[in-house]
Amino acid sequence: MKRARIAWQGRAVWADLVDDDQWLRLANGERVDATHAHWLPPVTPGATIFALGLNYADHSAELGFAPPSSPLVFLKGHATFVGHGGTARCPVDARQMHPECELVAVIGAPARKVRSEHAMDYVAGYTVACDYAIREYLENYYRPNLRVKNRDGCTPIGPWIVDAAEVGDPQALALSTHVNGALVQAGRSHDMVFGVSALIEYLSDFMTLMPGDMILTGTPHGVAFVKPGDRVICEIEGIGALAHDVEVDR
Amino acid sequence: MISGIAYGVVLNDERQLRELGSRLNDAPYLGAPQAPVMFIKPRTCFRFHGAAIPMPDELERVEAAATLGLLFERDVTKAQPANALSGVAAACLAIEVCEPHDAFHRPAIRQRCRDGFLPLGAFTAFEPAFATADIHTVIDGRRRHTWSLSDLARPVPDLVAAITEFMTLRAGDLLMVGLPGDAPTVEAGERIEVTAQGLPALATVVQRGSIQ
Repeated sequence: MKRARIAWQGRAVWADLVDDDQWLRLANGERVDATHAHWLPPVTPGATIFALGLNYADHSAELGFAPPSSPLVFLKGHATFVGHGGTARCPVDARQMHPECELVAVIGAPARKVRSEHAMDYVAGYTVACDYAIREYLENYYRPNLRVKNRDGCTPIGPWIVDAAEVGDPQALALSTHVNGALVQAGRSHDMVFGVSALIEYLSDFMTLMPGDMILTGTPHGVAFVKPGDRVICEIEGIGALAHDVEVDR
Repeated sequence: MISGIAYGVVLNDERQLRELGSRLNDAPYLGAPQAPVMFIKPRTCFRFHGAAIPMPDELERVEAAATLGLLFERDVTKAQPANALSGVAAACLAIEVCEPHDAFHRPAIRQRCRDGFLPLGAFTAFEPAFATADIHTVIDGRRRHTWSLSDLARPVPDLVAAITEFMTLRAGDLLMVGLPGDAPTVEAGERIEVTAQGLPALATVVQRGSIQ
């Protein structure tokens, strides 16, 4: 099953995708044509959002870093999220706005001191994010700092959450980013330094992960920069294609 | 209440920045911070009504940094200092708890994000005088720390302006305005009381073992 969060008749509601993703079925049974849906970020209010830096060896190498010996985790707020079909904001002076296609694991049950071999029991599903970095704002304090990674409208996410059972092995998925139709990023989740299970073990060792919490698992090789007017599509095999436009943020 | 995200700021204590001095020019920092240096506390950190701070088994002491929390009632984006606090509706005292560490290079997630590591006092209506309040920390009946928010490198209105230049502080978000560089440490069994004029006192205790 896929579930999406949409704006419908003045409300934010969750809905299931049915009939080959052509329709959205609301909790009360009503159906909405998916081609006319207003997609919202499929994010639970208040959820803790974890993200990973340097979690693909090939991406670390192209940035000139050795892969980290423990996960490089940072947190994100919610004002940065943009739903499928929305608009990401490019600062007027930004020349290094880097799209980062990422597999997102969604937690489904409270997780505390979970060993990696049991971690999959705590994953509800997966979605796709484009975790933009504005690289010229990088500073060496709590890097990657919030000015780089938590800007308004700089994290498209969606279109929906796919149940974990339908996705299968999260480390066997192809990821890609296209900008205006050109492939700029391609990788496989197999190349993560710390996979989904290892990340759940690492985080749940010192804190409790809660249902709805999300882990953005890092991005593979391929540094390209976008500019206002670009159309960007991040796609992950078996999950979906997340589209957005880039617009200048004045 | 807090329906959004709890944000905090480090390296906003003028005295701490002075003491760090030229060390901030060395690797890995390579220069003093430009934007506010921020962190996020997960919702699992929140502790209300004096509930105990759980001391993890593997730690002997934790740092207890008393500060002011601001609760926003309106979205604030690209504010100017003169109007930056118009979206703040309420304030509380807060104890930002962390595992002691002295590096600022990478986000201090393991150190700051443990369950129960953010006790919060009762909220009261925001008053501008809170932005320059003296905040006192008493541990087991002894005054152990005092600092003044008038010593912030970025005063509160300037801080909100600098943050909202790049991100919205939303209705329901909490902002902790800075941490003292010389915050005391506490061990299991110790009682902490934080006070500041006009704000409801925050009293809690450090308790061994995780609290489910």
